[in-house]
Amino acid sequence: MKRRRRRIEDIALQRIERLFELAEAEARKTKERSRSDRYVQLAREIGMRYRVRIPSHLKMRICKGCYTFLIPGENARVRLKGDYITTTCLGCGKQMRRPYKAPRAPSPRRNEDVSMKDFYNCP
Amino acid sequence: MKITPSNILQHELIGLRTEVEDSSNSDVKGLCGIVVDETRNMLVIEDEQRKEKKIPKAGNIFVFELNGGVRVRIKGDTLVSRPEDRIKKGKKR
Repeated sequence: MKRRRRRIEDIALQRIERLFELAEAEARKTKERSRSDRYVQLAREIGMRYRVRIPSHLKMRICKGCYTFLIPGENARVRLKGDYITTTCLGCGKQMRRPYKAPRAPSPRRNEDVSMKDFYNCP
Repeated sequence: MKITPSNILQHELIGLRTEVEDSSNSDVKGLCGIVVDETRNMLVIEDEQRKEKKIPKAGNIFVFELNGGVRVRIKGDTLVSRPEDRIKKGKKR
């Protein structure tokens, strides 16, 4: 059962990555964005259905407000503001922030996470 | 990241080259192109004239070309389900 789940998650991740590749290629080829946005929608549906996270570098390419595929310089503005990378969607104006400095001092909650991970890794 | 004949039923069909090998509709038989979208019951294929053709999955036989030149023949009836639901389906030929 566990192996089957891992296989499903693996394929889901591959499909998400593939869809983002296609969205990128489509956005470069034409000005028409509807197809790129459709691929983002499909990738999100796959991620939600199988509880697979969209990798963080790809997550930055989606607008959190209107879920369009973002192309920096075309329909997104990327700026460094303080400790954050701020990406502004030029379609809906939503701002997304992501810290880029060294990770914060380990919080007690994070330590808890680590211990839980160890717990799962133990046979 | 590989699409193989064994996992194509679960994998992404968008972006693959395909040909309608057999169909109950003689007009779409032999249609060649790249899959650009997928719904529960249809594949949207962009043909050489960059026209989008909406082909029902059911009742048609598709030949998909994987990278590496491998060609896989698939009955459209096995593909009928939403694209994100297809991963869950078991292996069937």
